[in-house]
Amino acid sequence: MLEVSTPVKWLLRLLAVGYVFFLVAWPVTTIVRTAFADGVGSMLEVFTDPATVHALSLTLQIAIQAVVINLVFGVTISLLLVRYEFPGKRVLSALIDLPMAVSPVVVGLALLLVYKPNGGWFGETLAENGIQIIFSGTGMIMATCFVALPLIVREVVPVLHEIGDDQEQAARSLGANFRQTFWRITLPSIKWAVVYGVVLSLARSLGEFGAVKVVSGNVINQTQTATLLVESKYESFDQPGAYSVAFVLAFLSVICIVVVSLLRPKEIHK
Amino acid sequence: MSIEVSNLTKKYGDFYALDDVNVSLPTGQLTALLGPSGGGKSTLLRIIAGLDTADHGNVSIEGVDATKLPPQKRNVGFVFQHYAVFKHMTVAKNVAFGLEIRKTPKAEVKRRVGELLELVHLSQFADRMPSQLSGGQRQRMALARALAVEPTVLLLDEPFGALDAKVRKELRDWLRRLHDEVHVTTVFVTHDQEEAMEVADEIVVINQGRVEQVGSPDQLYDEPANDFVMGFLGEVTRLGPVRLRPHDVEVAVTPGHAGAFPGTVTRALRVGFEVRLQVELDPEFGSSDPVSVVLSRSHARSLDIELGSKVWLTAAIGAVTVPAMVAV
Amino acid sequence: MTLTPGSSLALGISLIWFSLLVLIPLTAVVVSASDRGWSGYIDTITNPQTMAAVRLTVGQSALVTLVNIVMGTVIAWVLVRDRFFGKRILDVIIDIPFALPTIVAGLVLLGLYGPNSPLDLHWAYTRNAVTLALAFVTLPFIVRTVQPVLEELDHDVEEAAASLGATRLTIFRRVILPSLVPAITAGAALSFARAIAEYGSLVLLSGNKPFSTEVVSVRVLTHIENGSQASAAAVASLMLAVALFVIVLLDIIQRRVSARA
Repeated sequence: MLEVSTPVKWLLRLLAVGYVFFLVAWPVTTIVRTAFADGVGSMLEVFTDPATVHALSLTLQIAIQAVVINLVFGVTISLLLVRYEFPGKRVLSALIDLPMAVSPVVVGLALLLVYKPNGGWFGETLAENGIQIIFSGTGMIMATCFVALPLIVREVVPVLHEIGDDQEQAARSLGANFRQTFWRITLPSIKWAVVYGVVLSLARSLGEFGAVKVVSGNVINQTQTATLLVESKYESFDQPGAYSVAFVLAFLSVICIVVVSLLRPKEIHK
Repeated sequence: MSIEVSNLTKKYGDFYALDDVNVSLPTGQLTALLGPSGGGKSTLLRIIAGLDTADHGNVSIEGVDATKLPPQKRNVGFVFQHYAVFKHMTVAKNVAFGLEIRKTPKAEVKRRVGELLELVHLSQFADRMPSQLSGGQRQRMALARALAVEPTVLLLDEPFGALDAKVRKELRDWLRRLHDEVHVTTVFVTHDQEEAMEVADEIVVINQGRVEQVGSPDQLYDEPANDFVMGFLGEVTRLGPVRLRPHDVEVAVTPGHAGAFPGTVTRALRVGFEVRLQVELDPEFGSSDPVSVVLSRSHARSLDIELGSKVWLTAAIGAVTVPAMVAV
Repeated sequence: MTLTPGSSLALGISLIWFSLLVLIPLTAVVVSASDRGWSGYIDTITNPQTMAAVRLTVGQSALVTLVNIVMGTVIAWVLVRDRFFGKRILDVIIDIPFALPTIVAGLVLLGLYGPNSPLDLHWAYTRNAVTLALAFVTLPFIVRTVQPVLEELDHDVEEAAASLGATRLTIFRRVILPSLVPAITAGAALSFARAIAEYGSLVLLSGNKPFSTEVVSVRVLTHIENGSQASAAAVASLMLAVALFVIVLLDIIQRRVSARA
C-alpha cells in the first residue's frame, strides 16, 4: 500500500480535519450554545407555545407518513429493478434518481402546477370532488415523498445485487411462494439497508423546507411545519425561538446520523 | 422414467444454450450431466427445476407435465454450486425451512431435522450459523435442506465445484454412499469427467446445447459415439490414421510388428507409478504433433527406455480407436 | 426473471404513483414554461435580475464543486488511509450536512460567520455566504462516492508499481487517481446539481439581495409568490435541464464502471 511521507500525512490530516471543523463541526456547536444561552429553562419554554408544539407534531406526522409511503414504494421498485426484466428498465432506474437533483422549490412548483385547485391539471377535477391537495397535508406529504424518494432505493438496490438471487431460488425450490420468500429470505437479507434508508429518509423528511414552503401556504397552527416556523420566527426577530426549534430539529437529525453510523459496521461485518 | 425431457430449446439472443434436447432419466438412479462449461448442462438442470423456462419443449417429472409449474410446485430438491445457504438462519433452521413452509407440525420438523443432520454428519453444528461452517459442511447442509422435503428428484448443479480437491473427493464418495442409502432419483451437473465416471450410474454428455451420448461410464469409455465424447472422457493421442488413448499405445524397442510407426523418445516424465513419453515419429510417418504414450514404470524399466531411445509404436489389441479428423 | 402477473401489477401501481408524484408534475413545469411562447420564454430568462442570479448560481456551484473535488478526495483519503484519534467522529460529522435540515444549516453557519461571529468573520449577506452554504450542503457527496472505491482498491497494484520503481507521487497519479476518476466525477456531478438546486440554507444566510446574493431557486420562489407561475416555470426549466443532464451523466458513469468490472 502507498505510504505517504510523514509531513504529507500530517498536512492532509490537518487539511481534512480543519476544513470539516470550520465548515461543519464548529458551526453546529454554536447552535447548541445559542439555544441554551439563557439556560435550559428558556430553551424548554418553546414547548409551551401551542404553535410550536403544533408545528413539531405536524412535521412528525408528515415525515412518518412520507417515510412509510417511500418505504413501500422503494422496496417494491428496488425488487423490480434488480430481479425482473422489462422494457424501459434502464430509463426508470435513471429517473428514480431525478428527485436528488431537482431543487425543492421546483418540486413545489411542479406539484402546484398539477394539483392547485384553480387551474391545476388535475387540481380542478379533484377540487370539484372535494379533494384538496395543495395547501393541505396531502400536498405536503407528496412534496416530502418527492424529495426523499431515491434514498431507500439507492440503499437497497446495491445490496440486492450483492446478495444475488441464489437464496431466493433455493427457497422457491423448497416450496416457498413469493410472499414466503420475500418475508423469510429477501427481507431479512436486506433489512439493514432498509433500516439505513428509512433513517436517512426520516432525517430528510423532517428537514424538508423549500418544497413544503411552496405547497403548504404556511398557515400558523394549520400547515406550518417546524422548518417553516424556524424561518418565520427568525424573520420576525424571535431569534431565541428560532434557535430553540432549530436545535430540536438538529438534535433529531444528528440522532439519525449516529444511529446510521452505529448500524453501518454491523452491515459490513455480518 | 422419472424425468422426461422432450424437444427442449433455449436461446439467449442468437446463442443456443439448448438445441432440441431429448433425454429420459431413469427413476432411482444417479445420473451425471457431463460436458464443458457453457455447454448447456446447467441450463437443462435449471429448466428441470423450474428456475429457468425453456423457449420450446416439455419437461415431465414422474409422469406429471411440469413444463408450466413454478419451482415451488415441482417438489424437486436443488443444490447450488455456491450453496445458497440462508445466511441469517442457523443450520437447523436452514434444514427446517422447506418443512416449515409446508406447515409440518413442530415435533415432526424437529425429528426430521435431527435425522437429516445425523445423515450429513452435522448434528453437533445444529445451532451454528452457516458462516461458521467450512465449504464442505455448508454443501452437506444444503443437501440436507434439499432432502428434508422428500423431493421426487434431487438436482445438484456443480455441487463440488467450489471446493478444494481433497474435500471434493471426500464429498464425491460420500454422495455415492448417500445415494445408495436414500435412493432418490438424483441428477448432478459436472464438467469433471473423473467425478462423473466415479459417482454416476449413467452419464449424459452434453456439448454445445446437444446431447452427444447417453450411457453407463463403461459404455462411454469403451464405446464413445464420436470424437468429442472420446476426447472429453480421457486423454487422447493420434497415431497415424487413428486416435486412441495413450495407454493403448503398445511400445516395442525392436522393429518387429508390421505397420508399426518408428520414432524417437523426445520427452520422458515419471509421475508416480506411470511413465509418460512423447514420441516424435520419423519424418516419413510424420504427423506434426508428437504421440503421447503412457506405460507403467515397471514396463518402462523392463524395456529400458530413456530419452533418445528409438521405439516402434502400434495400437494395442482391443484398443478403442476412432478415425482421426483431418489434420489441422 | 420476466414479469409475472403479480410483479406486473406491482410495477403498474409503482409507475402510476411515480408518474403522479414526479413525472407529470415535472412535465407540467416544462409545458408551463412554454405557455407564453418562445419569445416570452426568452424574455423571462434574459431578464437582467434572472441572468445575474443564473451567473451567480452557476459560478458559485462550479467553484464549490472544484473545492469539493480537492477537499472531498483529501477527506476520503484521510478517512480510508490514515489512522488517528477521532477519525470515527470525523466520519460521522461528514454525514451531518446530509441530515441537517437546510434551514437549520443556514442558521448554524450564521452562528460562526454571522453578525456575532466569534471569528470576527462577517460573511452574512455577502457572496461568501453563498459559497459557504453551498460548500456546507455539498460536503458529503464526493467524500461518500470516493471513500468506498478507495477502500476496495487493490493494494497489490500499488506495491507492484512501487516494485517497478515508481515514486509515491507517480503511484498516486498513475495508479490510484485513474481508478478514482469515475467516483470523483459522479460525486462532482451530484455536488454541482445539489448546489444549483439549493434553497433552504441560503434563505437566512445570504439575504437574497438582487444582483448580488440572489440565487436561481430564490428567483423561482419570487415568481411563484408573485403569482406568475409561467415565469417561475421558465426559470425552473433551466434548473431541470441541469438536473436531467446530471442524471444522464451519472447513468453513463455507472454503466462504464460496471462494464469495466
